[in-house]
Amino acid sequence: MQVEFLGVSRQRAGVAELVVEAETLGQLLASLADRLPSLSEVILGDRLHPAFVANLNGDQFIRDPKTRLQRDDCVLILAADAGG
Amino acid sequence: MPFGYHAAYLHIDVTDGHVDRLPLDESTLRQFIGGSGLGVRLLLDAGTAHLDALAPEAPLVFAFSPLVGSPLTTSAKFAVVSKSPLTNRINDSLASSGFAVAGKQCGCDAIVIVGRASELSVLVIENDRGGGGPRVRLESAAECRGATCQDTEAHLRARLGREYRVASIGPAGEQLVRYATISHDGRHAGRGGSGAVLGSKNIKAIAVRGRERVAWAHPETLTTLSRDLSKRSFGPATAKYRELGTATNLLTFNRFNALPTRNFQTGSFEAAANLSPEQLSVTRSKTRDSCVTCTIGCEHIYSILPADAGSHKSGSGFRPHAEETTGVRVEYESLFALGSLCGISDADAVLWASRRCDELGLDTISAGGTIAFAMECAERGWLDEPWLKFGSADALLRALEAIAARDGVGDLLAEGSRRAAQAIGHNSIAIAPQVKGLEIPGYEPRALQTMALGFAVGPRGADHNRSGAYEVDFSDKVDRRNVTLEAVRHAIDTEDRAALMDSLIVCKFLRGVFSDFYAEAADMLHAVTGWNATAAELLDTARRIVAAKREFNLLAGWTPAEDTLPERFLSTPLPDDPAASLSRTRLNELVAEYHRQRGV
Repeated sequence: MQVEFLGVSRQRAGVAELVVEAETLGQLLASLADRLPSLSEVILGDRLHPAFVANLNGDQFIRDPKTRLQRDDCVLILAADAGG
Repeated sequence: MPFGYHAAYLHIDVTDGHVDRLPLDESTLRQFIGGSGLGVRLLLDAGTAHLDALAPEAPLVFAFSPLVGSPLTTSAKFAVVSKSPLTNRINDSLASSGFAVAGKQCGCDAIVIVGRASELSVLVIENDRGGGGPRVRLESAAECRGATCQDTEAHLRARLGREYRVASIGPAGEQLVRYATISHDGRHAGRGGSGAVLGSKNIKAIAVRGRERVAWAHPETLTTLSRDLSKRSFGPATAKYRELGTATNLLTFNRFNALPTRNFQTGSFEAAANLSPEQLSVTRSKTRDSCVTCTIGCEHIYSILPADAGSHKSGSGFRPHAEETTGVRVEYESLFALGSLCGISDADAVLWASRRCDELGLDTISAGGTIAFAMECAERGWLDEPWLKFGSADALLRALEAIAARDGVGDLLAEGSRRAAQAIGHNSIAIAPQVKGLEIPGYEPRALQTMALGFAVGPRGADHNRSGAYEVDFSDKVDRRNVTLEAVRHAIDTEDRAALMDSLIVCKFLRGVFSDFYAEAADMLHAVTGWNATAAELLDTARRIVAAKREFNLLAGWTPAEDTLPERFLSTPLPDDPAASLSRTRLNELVAEYHRQRGV
């Protein structure tokens, strides 16, 4: 599935988008942490730091690492502190 | 006298210069804390809610807080509270930095200004330690007539002395533009027209210089708390503000179809990337700045080259001085209001427009909202100003100058979108982007429906600073495009928290840093005042402050029917995201539940 980084997570990742294979959110985040060490402040193990959130396809915000993902999903990673 | 306070406020009648230093009892201070809360309490006590906002007798309150002057990060803030000339309802707008510290050191917790000076004046307040209390005088500011906020501040500090801190209005405030700001050190008490209220009193600026500090109850504890809070303020929870600033919202909101575009006709802007901080920083140098005592440093100041300004000079009729081409603070709300909302993709023009708003003393959100509304009216043939076109940078800049001078159609637009709609007719009120007269900030209500509720019920109108309900929409607590009554308590929670933050005062950019805000607020307040306030007491305090704002509004004529949104949002799904649809029935249910939970 596709991963889109927005804001600070994009700054850290150094890219706007990435394709990752994973069956759950936790697997996806662990994979990202492996590939992009610069995300160490964003991803803690198989979870996002509380200052960040994940969103599925622009619809649903998700946190549970066990959340199942589909091959054609798009996961957005952004600051939890939206607005301001 | 309680620690952390002077337990007194100054009541100044600028008609005759009469000054009273009046006591504030500890019970009042504990119930309303300071900032917005104290300001609203003083307004209620004045019994003037029924007056015209621009009447000489209508008070304008500058309220400080117990945390001002402490080492707690972001605490150097002040609230400006009055009846709004834009909404005819309560208005509390906050600004930051040295004025807050110097103002409190004048020996007062608030300054209440009434009357009207006989000539354009600067109100000077000073207090030397052991010097017998605050001294107040009015001096002519005739030479500042028509000057920008920045020039006024610089001129008066040169005249009076560098140790003075100055809050001033620009040409827009002098012209009583209903969304004029009060500016200090480049920041603005921006929303609701407090600059027009000061202008109506013929006061161009307030200059403060003080050396009377308050004592703290537990200074060592305060130092420990301050160090800990500062340390946490460097962490991930504030990274967004440090690294990109609020402008980073632009691409995020665009991705979620929540970026208001062309007067809220759509929720995404094809040229959003042009205006994003990620792109702006590619071709422009950038510096960062922060308010006094702030460790976050959220201000991202982008350079504007003279050529950038020059390309728009002919259309807008102004001639920037060379020294005016150094930079502009870039915030999301300014980028949205002067960019996507007006369909402007030219980043140079948007930055210059933002800078002109800062100079003229105009609220960027209301200015952009009113101009975008006028552009749509012109395109529909309801307003005979064919030059007002979406996407026209010249039109945007020309309109800003006209508004600040109340020149031509600018005189109408200076009244804000609600009054302009009433004059234009054609049921244009349905597309006027406002609630209670206050233009809607950069959050598309159909895509962010908890925020839609927050806008509808906001005591000062559509407001993202007094309700943080957008945070709920950007979480797993609700379905942002199909919210249920469950969203109401979350919206109330953000409103309560904002009321307390605006009264303590600490910056809302810290909100992600606190694990238990009310408990930590109680600790901070204990260290400063010595009060053994609990988290539960402070939640009650927050709710008391929200209720006080509603009480003011009731006295000013509020009715429940005001707690709604413009027809556009309730009759048309968002074209670029049809799932983002909010019916009148749904909004009414949410508002009714809000009123029930608030006991309205």
